[in-house]
Amino acid sequence: MLAPSAPAIPADGIQLDRGALSAQHLQVFYGRKQALFDVDIDLTPHTVNALIGPSGCGKTTFLRAINRLHDLTPEARVEGKILLDGIDIYDRSIDPVDLRRRVGMVFQKPNPFPTMSVVDNVTAGLRLTGVRHRGKLQEAAERALVQAALWDEVKDRLRQPALRLSGGQQQRLCIARALAVEPEVLLMDEPTSALDPQSTARIEDLLGSLKQQVTVIIVTHNMQQAARISDTTAFFLAGSLVELGPTDAIFTNPSDPRTEAYVTGRFG
Amino acid sequence: MKFPRVQTVLTVIAAVIPLALLAILLFLGSYAWPAIRFNGLGFLFKLTWNLGNLYANPVTVAGQVVPRGAQYGILVFIAGTLLSSAIALLLAVPLSIGIAVFLTEAVGGTLRELLSFVVELLAGVPSVVYGLWGYAVLIPLVAHQIGPFLRSALGFLPVFAGSVGSGYGLLTAGLVLALMVVPIIASTLRDALLHVPIPLKEGAYALGATHHEVVREVMLPAVRSNLVAASILGLGRALGETMAVLMVSGGALNYLPHNIYSPVTTMAAFILSQLDSALTDPTGMAVRSLAEIAVVLFLISLLVNLVARLLIWQTERRSRVAHG
Amino acid sequence: MSLTARRSPTPRGLRRRRLRGQIGWTLSGLSVLLVAFPLIDLLAVIVEKGLRALSPTLFTQVTNGISGGLWNAIQGTLLLVVGALVFAVPIGVLSGIYVAEWPRSRFAGLVRFVADVMTGIPSVVLGYFGYITMVIGLGWQFSLLAGAITLALMVIPYIARTTELAMLNIGHDIREAGSALGLSQGTVIFRVVLPGALSGVLSGIMLAVAISVGETAPLIYTAGWSNYAWNGSLVHAPVGYLTYVIWTFINQPFASAHALAFAAALLVIALVLLVNAITRTLLQRR
Repeated sequence: MLAPSAPAIPADGIQLDRGALSAQHLQVFYGRKQALFDVDIDLTPHTVNALIGPSGCGKTTFLRAINRLHDLTPEARVEGKILLDGIDIYDRSIDPVDLRRRVGMVFQKPNPFPTMSVVDNVTAGLRLTGVRHRGKLQEAAERALVQAALWDEVKDRLRQPALRLSGGQQQRLCIARALAVEPEVLLMDEPTSALDPQSTARIEDLLGSLKQQVTVIIVTHNMQQAARISDTTAFFLAGSLVELGPTDAIFTNPSDPRTEAYVTGRFG
Repeated sequence: MKFPRVQTVLTVIAAVIPLALLAILLFLGSYAWPAIRFNGLGFLFKLTWNLGNLYANPVTVAGQVVPRGAQYGILVFIAGTLLSSAIALLLAVPLSIGIAVFLTEAVGGTLRELLSFVVELLAGVPSVVYGLWGYAVLIPLVAHQIGPFLRSALGFLPVFAGSVGSGYGLLTAGLVLALMVVPIIASTLRDALLHVPIPLKEGAYALGATHHEVVREVMLPAVRSNLVAASILGLGRALGETMAVLMVSGGALNYLPHNIYSPVTTMAAFILSQLDSALTDPTGMAVRSLAEIAVVLFLISLLVNLVARLLIWQTERRSRVAHG
Repeated sequence: MSLTARRSPTPRGLRRRRLRGQIGWTLSGLSVLLVAFPLIDLLAVIVEKGLRALSPTLFTQVTNGISGGLWNAIQGTLLLVVGALVFAVPIGVLSGIYVAEWPRSRFAGLVRFVADVMTGIPSVVLGYFGYITMVIGLGWQFSLLAGAITLALMVIPYIARTTELAMLNIGHDIREAGSALGLSQGTVIFRVVLPGALSGVLSGIMLAVAISVGETAPLIYTAGWSNYAWNGSLVHAPVGYLTYVIWTFINQPFASAHALAFAAALLVIALVLLVNAITRTLLQRR
């Protein structure tokens, strides 16, 4: 077992070159309906990037294009490129299953696997890829739980069913589950919208430290949240990227009048 | 309430259902009571079913008038019932899982509709028709193909060794029962799989699981209790099945099966096939002993169904709590 | 994870995992085939042998020993089904309505639970119960009434549960709208909700018909068997039915008996399929 004081250190250290993401001429269709129009975006590794915009504006569609979750919907079609570390993830040589290991995702509502314990949830991704060594799994679980700021709360109940945790704890468990496979990018789809303010604050606090490991892309409804947590903000409207820039600039001095209208609360 | 009359009338009519269950228990029980007194617990553990000498003067044993030498033991039928049902479940559970997974995850649209229809059709075929098909097709197949194949492939196990017999027997009964149980388990499981929450599946995909891993590691575990409940319901069906088993099981009397090809009799099949001969007993004890088998079968199926229903009820309640 | 491993299109471990998945899917597909094939064979055998035995005289002549026609059995099956419905439809439908409309009452919970449990009682046990109570106890002997009531006992729980589900499918707002118009509870249930739930209720009744047509075990010691057409009496006279022909005649060592058994099986299967088709159209129209 682990020494109680063992601090969590990422297995292969921090690689600053990992997690560079950009999209080129990205378009997404659902059947005949186009949901995303010609999006070009360039994100710096190890930053927190907020996607804002009114509901139905395409921000979640964009997010789900990054881990090719659209592949699961037969009607959905993606055009254009998304480059992760310079390689197009829609290239034929890329296996979406392998890609999703490198791009983690946290969903709107906490979705821990109900039949698994806390620790089994965290190690689920590693076990899928064939890691069987108990010590390695234990170590990875602790590291991920520490990164997700959940370790202290669950270290004595690792074998309990995950569903016994509170909603906020479940969401941080899902973050730990995504981090355990050491992804380069972490996608978060309104991760706090189902949580109370206290749990929300805990997760927001967490994001600042997470960017040391991953590039964070977070969809949020809440503009205060975007302003608090992100380095860069992208504003989507009606399926198009209207403006991308440093968060300060977007909220204080946007260059597009539509962005200004939105961030000042004139619509949305 | 302004019009209590509607409620009263409906309540009285609905009371027929629990009253019917009560009546079945009471009438069967009281009719079988002399037999229960005469047979004691040995009923369940004795091998021999012997109507006794029906032409000699009856004797009085334990306060009951019975033919001389009469002995009623149903261990053979209990064994036949449990073994044939066990074979059926061993085959039907994995098959049903495969079918349910295929229907929900591998195909969609028209093909899914069509195959679901096939499964439903399987449930609609009357048991006597299964018996007829078993008699006409399966018995020769077991006698000449399946049986010899199993013996040569698995003959090192005593269960599969020995004479393959005529095709009537445990294996054929188990095969027919499996076909009859599959639609019960498969359709329940299919519905449960279709209701696995999408976020759960997406959670697994997002973690880098392949499609089959999502099914295996997340979806199937999520419907585990549905599978257990459906299997128990299927077990109940198999335990009580009469006609199909009667037509293919070979009707063993007074000996236990020695391998998987042996003729067997189940409790249900025995009740149905033996009433005529039991009626020749002037003391009536044979008919009452048949009623006692019916009581035992009734109690077993009651128990099995109670367990299954409680499980289903609990699962439903839990999922209601989980989804708010 | 090294950069080169990431670059390779599909890592070896993943290829092995995908192979495992392929095997899993193949096994799934095999399960479907393993079950679909016997069903297709069953239908093919019965249609083929049944068609060969089919002739107009089957519908006009009664069974004579192990040959002749099936008129007595066809007529008996229809009579038993109608007889069972006479008892089962009012009791089943009204019980279902009760359970749906007073879902919170404890008694409704009991009725629902017992109905579920009763669907699991082996039909031969019900047949024996019918034999003891009606055939012997009431002295009805093998008869239409004893057979019909035994069948009714079997199908009442199915009708009740299907009716309940159909009634529950009608939204609460419709009931409230009815009440808001000042209609009495009885009027709301029978004039507003029940008509909306009718196709569901009818599909439950169709299910009962399908079960009744195909049952054998509960009838053998309640309805008995008769070589003659129905003489109009409800008790003291046995009746024939198609399923009896299937299980008895197949055991006779004569070709004519086997032909009758397969003809009867074809008729039973055709009836069951017809009823299923009706149910499907009923449910699709909803």
